Amino acid sequence: MINRKAIGYITANYTSKENSVLLENRPLASVPFMGRYRLIDFPLSNMMNAGIRTVGVVLPNNYRSLVDHLGSGREWELDRKKGGLFLLQGSAFGTAKKGMRFLLRDIINNRMLFERATEPYVVMSATNIVFNMNIADVIDAHERSGAGVTMIYKKCDRSLDDVGRLIIGDAGRVQSFERGCNYGDNEFLDCFIINRELLLKICDDYASLDYLDVFEATKNDYGRVDVCSYEFKGMAVGMFNEKTYYERSMEMLNPDVMHQLFTHERPIMTKAHDTPPAKYSSDSNARNSFVSAGCRIDGSVLGSILSRDVVVEKGAYVSNSIIMQGCVIKRGARVENAILDKNNVVEPGTMVCGTPDHTLAVRKAPSEN
Amino acid sequence: MAQKECIAMLLAGGQGSRLMALTSKIAKPAVSFGGKFRIIDFSLSNCANSGIDTVGVLTQYRPYQLHEYVGSGRAWDLSEHGAGVSILPPYATQDGGAWYVGTADAITQNLDYIKSHDPKYVLILSGDHLYRMDYRKMLESHIASNADLTVSVMPVPWEEASRFGIITANPGDGRIEKFTEKPEVPDSNLASMGIYIFSTDVLVAALEEDAIDQRSSHDFGKDIIPKLLGDGKRLFTYEFHGFWKDVGTIASFHETSMDLLGENPEFDLFDKSFPIMSNDSTRPPHYIGPDGRVDDCLVSNGCRILGSARHSILSTDCVVGERAIVEDSVLLPGAIVKDGAHVVRAILGENAVVEEGVKLGSVDMTKDTAVVGNDVVIGKGE
Repeated sequence: MINRKAIGYITANYTSKENSVLLENRPLASVPFMGRYRLIDFPLSNMMNAGIRTVGVVLPNNYRSLVDHLGSGREWELDRKKGGLFLLQGSAFGTAKKGMRFLLRDIINNRMLFERATEPYVVMSATNIVFNMNIADVIDAHERSGAGVTMIYKKCDRSLDDVGRLIIGDAGRVQSFERGCNYGDNEFLDCFIINRELLLKICDDYASLDYLDVFEATKNDYGRVDVCSYEFKGMAVGMFNEKTYYERSMEMLNPDVMHQLFTHERPIMTKAHDTPPAKYSSDSNARNSFVSAGCRIDGSVLGSILSRDVVVEKGAYVSNSIIMQGCVIKRGARVENAILDKNNVVEPGTMVCGTPDHTLAVRKAPSEN
Repeated sequence: MAQKECIAMLLAGGQGSRLMALTSKIAKPAVSFGGKFRIIDFSLSNCANSGIDTVGVLTQYRPYQLHEYVGSGRAWDLSEHGAGVSILPPYATQDGGAWYVGTADAITQNLDYIKSHDPKYVLILSGDHLYRMDYRKMLESHIASNADLTVSVMPVPWEEASRFGIITANPGDGRIEKFTEKPEVPDSNLASMGIYIFSTDVLVAALEEDAIDQRSSHDFGKDIIPKLLGDGKRLFTYEFHGFWKDVGTIASFHETSMDLLGENPEFDLFDKSFPIMSNDSTRPPHYIGPDGRVDDCLVSNGCRILGSARHSILSTDCVVGERAIVEDSVLLPGAIVKDGAHVVRAILGENAVVEEGVKLGSVDMTKDTAVVGNDVVIGKGE
């Protein structure tokens, strides 16, 4: 059902504050996740499932992989006459600054998207915390509350320094917004709803602070802006660096956890490929793993996540690893506690191993075709 | 509209009644095959891979899911301005309306569609065959021999020849001398694959003549081809070598599915030079549980395997419960085998359920393959 109340805005133009080989050629938004997905699929799908049919995506300077993935936006119902996908310019070098998610300058530079919309609300989201949520309900709650902004949070289940913490007072009103979260704190999910007119007013009133995150720029005025909160009680998976990316991915190796992200009623959509089902031979031994279409498994795969078109040859051994699209693990090779980015070939008999505490990440290899 | 060289007419209206429970609710071309595909994917992909950009899909029997699946043809890159897929169900006119009563009649009723594209040649296909074929090569052969009609043929085992339209052709130039539909005593083992290329003027004349012939059953094999042969038209064979199957029966559906497994299967779904495209449903990777065991299987996205699967095909979103065993079977999308159940040599329809602990099917090859219809639940004592 098309939602006439809101448009979407996704900030896909920042990277992690820590360097990683996974981010050498791509923004965080297009980092592969759970085999066939990329992180931006989650905010896009949440918006699609809420009926939002106009979405602006702020592009990073290294936008190739992202634009290739988004295409016309058809997978998220954004290839349309009225509304659709808008690719927006972002700051020249992205916003690598710690904690930065919603740079005011980018909002101001793209204010035309908000001026031209007729919908009263804007759903704004980053891409590094993935969750599957009924955003339409939040829009309705926001409308009923009469607030200017509704920030979505969850109760923090681990200590994190690269997320925002909400201090919430009476009637769910947000009193302040700090950096870093500990267990039990209100962890901001980098997703909020704002009245469109209010957003335009902020663009005008705080223009001199355009180098700040929108929540930083307005931090002394939450009362006047009327910032409200909404608790998300489902599962949210935040990825901030290689370590959390690996750990959160491995936690998905439990179908009950996984199915909180991938439900039939709110599907997560991604770019489709024509890949046949995965093929397992009699020599295969795959356990406790997620395996994508197009894989050929003749060896052992334990506790791992394989993207599409991965080949594990006879006698090869893969454990506790994330293997991205097109990698080939040849006969007798061994891959443990590792993240192999796309198209890596592990030659026969080679070992590519990290340790449980120090995951080894291998950069993307050039594609053969 | 500019003249086109060749358009395809894909016959997808048949019931496939010999597939019994599998086609009780959906048309045969829409039946799932090979894990993530549907049977019509193979013909549509052949068209796309052969550079044919205009395909009329003729539907009739239970068309809803087929229409939804084919959609605009986009999934096969067959969605183009002035071209692409057109779905052609029976329709009404000022003189009334009628069902398609035969393969030729279905095309006759859509002659306006063909004429609107003004092609030099018309390729006629069945939407229920499994094969990879570059129709361009067949078209080149048709043009080279200056044929009125080219029939794609392949040699079949003699004992099966009486199931097919059997052709006797001149071994030198391939000109067809004799065509007999399902002969009791075949005198050749060259079978028609039901793939025809007509020069358009010949097709139009033959169909218009056939339409007013009261004795005709309006079938290409039974009526049109024998008539053209009798009239002395230039009919030629195009010999095809490779994998081609009409999965017309439960036994052949099961056998052909099993043929996809093992090392180096004759029909390799992984051949990227001629990809089989499909209208993919976006589902996450499949999960193999800590005690899961997968041996010689094709496994699609969205599956969850906690028990054992051996020599089987698991389509999108299938579940094999804990301690459950699935052997020599085909699970169509959404089929569920619950904990401790044992399914052997069976075909489970879409969203079929085998309840906990139930045993289904038999290894005894003299018995028929067990079939569970779409949405059917098999409990204990059934």
